[in-house]
Amino acid sequence: MGRYVARRLIQAIPLLLGISVISFAILKAVPGGPTAAYEGNPYFTDEDLRRLEAAFGLDQPIHVQYLNWFTHFIQGDWGYSYSGGQPVLQLIFERLPNTLYLTIAVYVTVLVVAIPVGVLTAVRQYSWFDHIVTGSTFAFLSTPTFWLGLLLIISFGLQLRWLPLGGIQTPGMDFDLVDRARHLILPVATLSLVQIGSYTRFLRASMLETINQDFMRTARAKGLLERVIVLRHALKNAAIPLVTVAALDLPGLFAGALVTEQIFGWPGMGRLFWDSATRSDYPVLMGILAITSTLIVLANLFADVLYGYLDPRIRYP
Amino acid sequence: MKRISIVIAALALVATACAQPQGGGTPSGSPAASAGPVRGGTAIVAIWQEPTTLLPLYRNQTVATVVGNGVVEGLARTRADGQYEGDLAKTFPTLGNGVTVSGTKMEVRWELKPDLKWSDGEPVTSADIKFTWERWMADAKVNTRDGFSDIEAIDTPDAVTAVVKYKAIYPRYADNFFGLLPKHLYEKEADLSKTDYNRKHVGTGPYKVTDFRVGESITLERNTFYREKDKQYLDKIIFKSVPSSQVAIAQLKAGEVHAMWNLLESEMLDLEKEPGITVLADRSPSVERIELNTALNKDMTEPNSTHPVLGDIEMRKALLYATPKQTIIDKLLAGKVKPGNSPVSLGWASPQNLTQEGYDAKKANDALDKAGWIKGSDGIRSKSGARAALTITTTTGNQTRERIEQVLIDEYKAIGVELKIQNMPSAALLSGSWSAGDPRKRGTFDLVMFGSSPGIDPGTTVTQRYYSKNIPSAANNGTGQNYTRVKNADLDKAIEDSNATLDQEKRKDAYARALKLLNDQYVIIWLYDRADIDGRRNELQGWVPNPWQEFTDNMEDWYLKK
Repeated sequence: MGRYVARRLIQAIPLLLGISVISFAILKAVPGGPTAAYEGNPYFTDEDLRRLEAAFGLDQPIHVQYLNWFTHFIQGDWGYSYSGGQPVLQLIFERLPNTLYLTIAVYVTVLVVAIPVGVLTAVRQYSWFDHIVTGSTFAFLSTPTFWLGLLLIISFGLQLRWLPLGGIQTPGMDFDLVDRARHLILPVATLSLVQIGSYTRFLRASMLETINQDFMRTARAKGLLERVIVLRHALKNAAIPLVTVAALDLPGLFAGALVTEQIFGWPGMGRLFWDSATRSDYPVLMGILAITSTLIVLANLFADVLYGYLDPRIRYP
Repeated sequence: MKRISIVIAALALVATACAQPQGGGTPSGSPAASAGPVRGGTAIVAIWQEPTTLLPLYRNQTVATVVGNGVVEGLARTRADGQYEGDLAKTFPTLGNGVTVSGTKMEVRWELKPDLKWSDGEPVTSADIKFTWERWMADAKVNTRDGFSDIEAIDTPDAVTAVVKYKAIYPRYADNFFGLLPKHLYEKEADLSKTDYNRKHVGTGPYKVTDFRVGESITLERNTFYREKDKQYLDKIIFKSVPSSQVAIAQLKAGEVHAMWNLLESEMLDLEKEPGITVLADRSPSVERIELNTALNKDMTEPNSTHPVLGDIEMRKALLYATPKQTIIDKLLAGKVKPGNSPVSLGWASPQNLTQEGYDAKKANDALDKAGWIKGSDGIRSKSGARAALTITTTTGNQTRERIEQVLIDEYKAIGVELKIQNMPSAALLSGSWSAGDPRKRGTFDLVMFGSSPGIDPGTTVTQRYYSKNIPSAANNGTGQNYTRVKNADLDKAIEDSNATLDQEKRKDAYARALKLLNDQYVIIWLYDRADIDGRRNELQGWVPNPWQEFTDNMEDWYLKK
């Protein structure tokens, strides 16, 4: 196991290098650049433009620009935002807590709702409960988050005036639990409804498969309580695919939710990425991409290891 | 079953939280119920872009000016009527009254108002003026050095006087020191862009930044060291960051904010109907235009080459006559703006009597017939092998501009000119960079539509954009913004005249001449003068718009009526 993990980690290095080269190339392939921000300044001259391009290193050939970024990056200097001058790491770390606060709330909500609902729909297959859940999970699964988010804002924010239209808290207010919770409800609902749908489907399918297997009949024949059969025997086996999916979704917690954060004005990573992309703020974009790609590689490894723990039949080469 | 009850309990909790009254959601003003200005309270203003920096030497976003107005002050300012006045300076120096010319050089003597203080309580002195210039020249990341690079030296004979010595006659001195920097704080910093001052700039304005939460809000609080004691009515002004103008509109309607920055003309009509909301459309110096490329549409185009279609002035005239400015304004912009006539639509330098011809399809057809552009079987004209097929480029995703393109396709087709759309993202179209491939710089466009505004002193803009020596090309490394590649000796002379004197009347005359000559070349269609549109709830009072300083110009006079 240890050797397996070590080998996978070593394999990740060229992979991440490749990702960084490709990300950089894609960012640079987009025509234009950060200097469009100066278009509106009537006193901005061509000399100014050339001075700034030199200061940001934009006048260098693209491979030199990449090497500059990379050599600084591996020394822990992630560069500075073109538009504000702040260190990239500072920009990321001031957004990360907000994103984690939102995404962990979503993650917990999804698991807390999806697991019991998924189990119940399988145990009571074709009951009215199963039909309602199946119908609504398909509805939510096929709903784009931006649309659902806007719908929730319009109905609960604008029409009913029950909840705030966006933001993480009332501006200028000191920390207040109720205020925070009220701001959290709509974005969490938007993100979780869709995901609850997919997790429920996963669990229902694998539960159904498990329930009809021989060892379940044996358990029943032993006279075990139905609750013990379902939770201890069926769920533990049926949960394996869900665990994999949930582990693979972990890096998403850090990346934030691009569209949802944008719609709700949530000051998280997703919005930082969006704002930086519109400004062609390459150092910030590269920083975010580096973090998320690393996390995705690690999450994949984590999922594989976890899989082996849950299913002892799996052996690592 | 137990799980289900947990879920139900959780749902019940959510419902209770939903039902909570709108606690603190609506900011409260002072309860006093008088007709006049009221003291105290917090106003919340929605901004749908966020300033990345408030430091005057780096900032390049309009929204940074909107927020910075409470904090940043300079030596002089522009009044709403387009004239200058002293801000931190006692008076605005003019020729013979603080400005002296000796030979080819000039000096400007600035005298500060008495007892000025930074918002940290330290005195403002002439050393700060000198430091501002020095820092601007030393920092490679400042946005523009226009003006500062023309300064030779600054003398500070006493604590309130600074004598700025220019290397040559420099008529645009008024705008140089628009944001002073505090020497006592900033001289300790090697790189200001990496400091917290980036967000919490220390200025002299009526307010100071006390809280800057990225992606959330920026809080300005009363500056107790402001030179006019207790001038400010509001205790706090919070700029709330929202993701889009649509969201800002929704929050304004819902009463979550008192005011919002920047509406589109097309968004105005709906909001105007809303009770309790006032929409303010103020004039703005920005002019939406279509520039025509007179040189070959080709990468790194040769400035002396001729566009096979647009090289013909009769064709350019016809395109102007076939552009229905008023219809576009009425149908697409809710009739809220005026047709454009020149790039300098406002301010002392704006030529009052200059107009550009209006829509006349018959005149357009006549001009083309006369010039020998013959219609083919497909209805498109051609002349000596050149087919009148053109492209138009603007920024993708801008609905108004995209609709204008549709109108133009139909109108131009009616006069026998084919128009095809070739839009691109604004980061690509407006990078202004030769190396990043801005098509205007490289000459790879036929028609390009965008908006641009000159400063109150149009010198930089007019010279960079319409002077024949400023045509970007491979030979000059892409220097200049004369995108139409217009070359006219009289126009050059008029621009030179405008830069050679300090006499405002003479300069005004020179601009009137230059801009008339520019219109006579028919290289730019001035579509419309854009408006600055902001919205506010009626309880927020005291606004006085100033097209040169954004709507937050007089934040200190704002108050909340209850």
